[in-house]
Amino acid sequence: MLEVRDVDVTYGDIQALWGVSFSVRKGEMVALVGSNGAGKSTVLRTLSGVQKPRKGTITVEGTRSDTVDAHKVVELGVSLVPEGRRLFRDMTILENLELGGYIGRARKVKEEHLEWVFQMFPVLKQRISQLAGTLSGGEQQMLAIARALMSDPKLLLVDELSLGLAPIIVKNIYKTLREINKSRNVTILVVEQNVRLALEVADRAYVIENGRITMEGAGKELLASEAIKSAYLAIG
Amino acid sequence: MGALLQILSYGVFSGALYGLVALGLSLVFGVMNYLNVAHGALIMLASYTVLWVCYYLHFDPFLSLILVIPTFFVIGWILFMGLFQRLLALPETEKLKNSLLISFGILLICSNAATMLWTADERAVATSYTGKVIDLLGVRLPYIGLATVFLAIIVVFAVHLFLTRTYFGKAIRAVSQDYEAASWMGINTSRACLVSFAIGVALAGFPGVVIALQTFNPMVSFDLTNKALIVLILAGVGSLRGVLFGGLLLGVVEAASVFLVGVAYREVVGLVLFVLVLMFRPQGIGGRKA
Repeated sequence: MLEVRDVDVTYGDIQALWGVSFSVRKGEMVALVGSNGAGKSTVLRTLSGVQKPRKGTITVEGTRSDTVDAHKVVELGVSLVPEGRRLFRDMTILENLELGGYIGRARKVKEEHLEWVFQMFPVLKQRISQLAGTLSGGEQQMLAIARALMSDPKLLLVDELSLGLAPIIVKNIYKTLREINKSRNVTILVVEQNVRLALEVADRAYVIENGRITMEGAGKELLASEAIKSAYLAIG
Repeated sequence: MGALLQILSYGVFSGALYGLVALGLSLVFGVMNYLNVAHGALIMLASYTVLWVCYYLHFDPFLSLILVIPTFFVIGWILFMGLFQRLLALPETEKLKNSLLISFGILLICSNAATMLWTADERAVATSYTGKVIDLLGVRLPYIGLATVFLAIIVVFAVHLFLTRTYFGKAIRAVSQDYEAASWMGINTSRACLVSFAIGVALAGFPGVVIALQTFNPMVSFDLTNKALIVLILAGVGSLRGVLFGGLLLGVVEAASVFLVGVAYREVVGLVLFVLVLMFRPQGIGGRKA
């Protein structure tokens, strides 16, 4: 459903991505792992449309997404949970969720979606009129995911959700993501610095190093590989 | 006691006007970080427009708003497309500086062109209720002053409802908080900026009517921009709720200073207030700490 072909991204004179190609099939949960500064977030920014590739193509279910404005990418069914959550801090939980469902087709099913995300994250329902900026880190991450789901995405992009959160909370949120993936058939691409966690939870994974995809394989396979063990897991 | 209430009432009337003057400026500044100092010139032009509509079409000044507001919405639309849209891609501080330069140019061009075209003579719209007052327990309340207060309350309330109750209003607030995150929600951010700029300019019509009912000339632009900037700081940058309050505060302090230290120091007192707020409460009286 997502096809990335030979994408180059540059920031001014600095090239961040070099011929990146990968694909995500319908219903999969795929991880993109790599160390700090490898280009993971650039990949997601490019997929979400705020960064344009200098070369290469991105297609979502056969439609080019790299040539349209960022706000149109959402209408193609791609929704982003950004790094650092990027909530509208001076707005209430309900308003954040309403904005998540801003696009036309999502507005019609707003009540149904609200019920769905509240069932997933009951804590949000109790605080519906509280300002987003006053929530704890874990609650903010839940709200960021719920907000992204309000647009009824086919593909959910999740950027570094483990940053700054306690391991137990991260584990629970990943469990919820897996449920969303299974029960609602939402395809998920997660970007994660915590390589072990990502490889454990994902069906397949790609490893990105210095702006290039260097390895790919099933999560379990990569976990067992010597190269991954020595570079990312500090074993061996 | 009577004199005190009289002064307070004058302060409230001019304060409501200051609130209206600052409203459009504050909206635009809050949403896209453009400091549109041409706002005073736009209000001056709105006053002339009110004058013509009243003169040629024999409208009541307040009724003329049904023509003036849409006209200035279109003017705002054109100004944004022609001059301000290209600044959207710049970093925040560059947006501020560049918009300041462009709008300062517009301010100078408009006020000088207006002087050349329509002379520097004082103008005013005279109506049957100009100068009429209600006598309330010895305090004289002019009709126009009361109408200004009503207008200010209604307009601020309407803008507030628009921003908090409609999808598009919420989208505008989202853009003002994080335009990139707003685009991830599917919000067309440049369109949201265009529409809020046009609304900001359209809001110049309301103080335009009130100014037209007093006396005005093209150079009133500078004074209005000056007042708008003081209110913007008093209110807290981007805080629309604070604008009415900031305007009233400035109005009352000015009126009190006229009574206590004389009319010559009226402008000085406003600027002293401005400096004091910047020194001791830079986020503004209604604003939250960043």
